[in-house]
Formats: sequence, C-alpha cells, structure tokens
Amino acid sequence: MYKSFLSWRYLTRRPVNLIGIGGILVGVGALILILSIMTGFLETTRKTVRGNLADLIIEPADRPLRSGAELPRSPEALLTAVRADPRVAGACAQLTWFGILAPMGEEARFSQIKLFDPQNAGRAGVQLVGIDTADEFQVSNLREALTREPRRDRVADPDNPFAPPPGYEPDGRPLASVVVGEALARAFDLSRGSELMVLTGVPSGSEDFKPSNRRFIVAGTFRTQDNETDLSRLYIDRRELIDLLGAPREFSQVLVKLRNYEQDGAVAAEDLHKGLIKQGLLAGYTGEVRTWEEFRGVLLAAIENEKVLMAIMLSLVLLVAGFTIYAILSMMVTEKRRDIGILCALGADPRGIQGLFLMIGIWDAILGTLIGATLGILGAIYIDSIERGLSKLIGVQIFNRDVYLFDHIPSVVEPWSVVWIVSGAFACTLLFAFWPAWRASRLNPIDALRYE
Amino acid sequence: MNRPVLRAVGIRKGFVIGSRSAERRIDVLHGVDLTIHDGELVGLMGASGAGKSTLLHILALLEAPSAGEVLIGETSGWKLSISERARLRNSKLGFVFQFYHLLPELDAVENVLLPAMIQKSALEFRGARAELRERAEHLLRGFGLAERLKHRPAQLSGGEKQRVAIARALFLDPPLLIADEPTGNLDSATGEKVLELLLSEQKKRSLSMLLVTHDERIARHCGRVVRMADGRTT
Repeated sequence: MYKSFLSWRYLTRRPVNLIGIGGILVGVGALILILSIMTGFLETTRKTVRGNLADLIIEPADRPLRSGAELPRSPEALLTAVRADPRVAGACAQLTWFGILAPMGEEARFSQIKLFDPQNAGRAGVQLVGIDTADEFQVSNLREALTREPRRDRVADPDNPFAPPPGYEPDGRPLASVVVGEALARAFDLSRGSELMVLTGVPSGSEDFKPSNRRFIVAGTFRTQDNETDLSRLYIDRRELIDLLGAPREFSQVLVKLRNYEQDGAVAAEDLHKGLIKQGLLAGYTGEVRTWEEFRGVLLAAIENEKVLMAIMLSLVLLVAGFTIYAILSMMVTEKRRDIGILCALGADPRGIQGLFLMIGIWDAILGTLIGATLGILGAIYIDSIERGLSKLIGVQIFNRDVYLFDHIPSVVEPWSVVWIVSGAFACTLLFAFWPAWRASRLNPIDALRYE
Repeated sequence: MNRPVLRAVGIRKGFVIGSRSAERRIDVLHGVDLTIHDGELVGLMGASGAGKSTLLHILALLEAPSAGEVLIGETSGWKLSISERARLRNSKLGFVFQFYHLLPELDAVENVLLPAMIQKSALEFRGARAELRERAEHLLRGFGLAERLKHRPAQLSGGEKQRVAIARALFLDPPLLIADEPTGNLDSATGEKVLELLLSEQKKRSLSMLLVTHDERIARHCGRVVRMADGRTT
C-alpha cells in the first residue's frame, strides 16, 4: 500500500517532479501535434502529387497496332469499352499539347514574364489541356479547383467554364474561352476577360512542322493545390484544341475513375489493359494503362520516407524527457536516502523500495502522457483557430495560405499513431525510471539512516 | 523467568577498511551474547565506539553480523530471506530513533500509519482504513497530540516529533521495542516527559524494550543494564 501512497505524496509535494511530467507532456503533445500536421501535410501533398490524375490513366502508345492497323483517332470506342467495366465510375478523354503564351493588349505591359528575359522566358511555355467538361467533372477534381476560395477571378459559371466571361462584347467573331491556372494568371497579369495569344505548332507531313496560333479570352482561373500545375496549365475545350491543332488524333489519354480504387486499382488496370488490347484499342505496350500511384511512384515513396524520418527525429524529444525523469528520480533517491532507511527499519524490503520509486516514474508517465496526448490531439484538431489566435496576438501571419496553397493547416490525427506515441513514451519513462529505482533498492539502510 | 523475546548468541562483527593494497580489518564486536525476556526493560550503555550502535543494528536485523545468531522469538532472523526478514522486522520490532526519523511529507497520523501501510496490501489497507486511522488518532490523542494530528513534522516541536515516533513504533503492537537514545536530542525537561511516556507505555503493555542510553539517570529506570566496552558486554 505504501508504494502508491508515498509515491503520489512525493510527486505532489515536490514541485521538481512537475518538470519530469512537463517534459513527457511536451514530448508527447509535440509528437502528436507535429506528426498530425505532418500527416495532414503529407496527405495533402499526396493529393497534390496526384494533381488532377485520375485513378487510372490510359495512354495508347503512339504506334501502329501489332496487326498493322492504326489506332482509332477518336476516343469514343475506348471510352465505351472502359465504361462497360462495372468497376468504372467514369471516364473522360483529354487531348494535351504544348503552347507558348503571350498576353495581348494592355496586360502585356504589366506581365511579370518578360519573354526576352532569359531567366524566365521558359515560363511562357504552357500545357494545353483539351477537355470535355461534363465527362471531366465525373473523373477529376477540376470542378473543385474552379470554385476554390478565394474566388477572385474564378470562372463565372463553374458548370460551364468555357462560357464567355460576363460582360464580354466581342469585336467581331467571338473568341473561344480558356481557363488558366491562378499562378499563371498572376504571372501574366491576366484577369477574367483578358485576351491572350497561344502559339503552337504541329507536325505536318513527314518532316515539316506547321506553326499555329490563336487568340483566346480568359473565362476565369482555377486553383489546384499544386503551384506547378497552376503555373503551367491552361484548360480549353477539347474540340477547340482539335480545331487549333488539326491533330491527327483527337485525344492523348483517357482518364478513369473507379468506384473503389483502394480495392480494385491494380487489378482493374491489368484487366482493362488486356481487354483493350483484345478489342484492338491499345497497341499492347507496357505502361499503356497505369494507376496514378505507378505514375508518381518515386515521389510517393519519398513522402513516406520523409514521414518516417520526421517521427524518428521527434522521438528524440521523448528521449530528452526520459533523461529528465532519470535525472529527477536520481536526485530524489539521493535526497530521500534517510526516508529509504526509515522505511527499511519499519519493514519495507528492497523490492518495495524499488517499486516505490518506479511508481513515481509510472505517475510521471501516466500524467505526462495523458495530459500530453489530450493537448496534442486538441491542438491538432483546433490548429487553425490556434494559428489564427497566435497570429493575431503576435501580429505575424504564422501560416501563409498563399505560400502553401492550402486553405487551412492540414492536420490528421491517426489513432494508431497516438497509441504508439503514448505507449512509447510510457515505456521510455519506465525504462529511465528503472535505474534510479534499482539504485534506491540497493542502498544500505544503515548508511541511509546515518544520512542526515 | 519469562520466555525470551530476543536472543543474540556469539555476535561478531568486523569491517574491512582501506584500499585493496592496504586492507585492514577492524573487529567491532567480539562474540556478544544478549537475551531480552518478555516484558523486560534492558538498558544498553557504553562509551562512544564501544559497539552499541553496531550491535543495535544487528539486533534490529538491519545489518548482518560476521558471525553469530539473532533469534526473534524462535525465528533466526539472519537465516531468513530479505523479504521474510523485512516482514519480521515490521511485525515484531518497533524502533524509536534519536533523531525521530519521521517522513517529512506525511502528517502525524500518516506517519503513525506507515508500519500498517507497509504490512498490508492496498486492498487490505483500504478495507481497514477507517479503523486504522481511528486507532492512530486515538494513540496520538493519548500521547497529548490531539491538536497536532494533521501537522507535518516540520510543524512539530522535538518532543512532539518523538511522541509521534513512539506512537508509530507501538502502532502494530510489536513484542520488542528498540529505543536508540530516545531523549538524546531533546532538552532535559522535554526528554523527561518523553521518557516518562515511553516507560509508562512499556509498563502498560508489558513490552520488552532495549533502551540505549548514555545517561545513568535513565539507565536507573531499567530492570537490567548491559554495559559495553571494546565490543564486549561486561
């Protein structure tokens, strides 16, 4: 009985123990909070890395079929075959090409991109993505990007993004609309209703390359959570792009959304590949049907690795807390030598003395991990409010939403991570408490009683 | 003659001092025999360095002898395991130290309850807590400490601390009380009162008691006085 009673009394009557509890509390709290934010960041980055990639990407190799026949020019047959698979929720065709962007009129003077500046002239190069709006919305998260806050210069009607911008009065034949990335619009000082010129070229015949250019009107902007996409992509109606390019093929790839990607992803990719080859819709080369993870495999592995490294680094905080416990308990054993002698004289045995000091470590661990875990979880849940309050208090914006391209600080509390952190902190504390407790049990009661 | 409560037979104790290259053995006790019978009050006197403290620690099962045997009742204390010896000390021996040795974090009642806390498991103690607490408070009230039950040692005078220490030593009704100069750290008036309390309790409870003292006046209260010189009883 005396072990729990006395250990609690020592703990509450000696404020120095609060340092140990504080150390564990900070360690556990910081680990949970930072890992939750890291997980949130990584999950969001994972989505960013995915970008607008669909679950599966079908890219017919630009070569003749093994039978000698040409691949179909139009995506319709491929889309029909893919949609026939019950695991598929939606599919859309995209035509992608390259272009050079040149702002027109007044805006050109204010453009940050100086085409003659060798440092950033390359940024004028953009990816032209031709889409079928209704199909695209079923597969990718473009609609979300068209409505993401803050909605400055976004398209007027997200369901019909290529509609002319409100108030557009064409001077002659109306220009076709394009939707540009927010960062690209900012770089070229474009806004809704701005005119721009797209210059491109297409192969013509066997050796010739035919230049092509056309003026467009900006219908609005989109904002993904990937700066690179926002800076380099321009959406255009696919028929408009076909018209501009006079392309030999009407699509570059077909994007597929599955009903349950986690369950069916890899198998569906393989099945579709085989099925489409049989139907003469794919040439039969490796990599024609890929999951989005295969597309971004190296980057995903790097993200996972970063998380593990971060957890290892943060565990050092707990190690420091463990050393604090060790130092405090060692100090207490020295301070309490006389008490140890008294307890021995009254009938306590060495195992009991060891248990008494180990119990102090257990109380430290219980209080430190419980309070730390609670604060860490609450901190992770309310991180946005905390950040806003702190930013207001110190007058500095801690989390710049423009820099990170996130609307809020992403934070995901993983229950198993919390369990691991709490168990680890508990085990670490007990490990560090064990040595001083063992030393206390080895004290000679006579020496301890003489200690005044 | 009453049955013996404590019997020490041929107790020897030597210490090795000095570095490994120049070790020296010092013999402190040279075969001491001592018996304390039920209800007997025995005084132990001797000059500093005579070996009283070492003998006391061996009798109290706190320090192992180099040779000899200590029997508490019929049990040979130094043949038991560490845990069994600790249990024997808890149930059969009560201690009163010169410097009180109360735990500073506990109040008077809690200090008195300490031997019971050591003896009982958490469950047993919780079951008997009210009764044990009542007994401890009753004991302290009987020792004139009714107003000091919730006071911690730092808030008590020397005499009050020693009375709490006596209450703690008597709480489990041990058959033998070992008092090591219980008035040695008190002024004469306070020491007188503490001694009076100790002797009256010894008489009331027919307690066996070994009283270590320097003071001849205190020794005169003992039924028998054992004197020590150069590690031997005379």
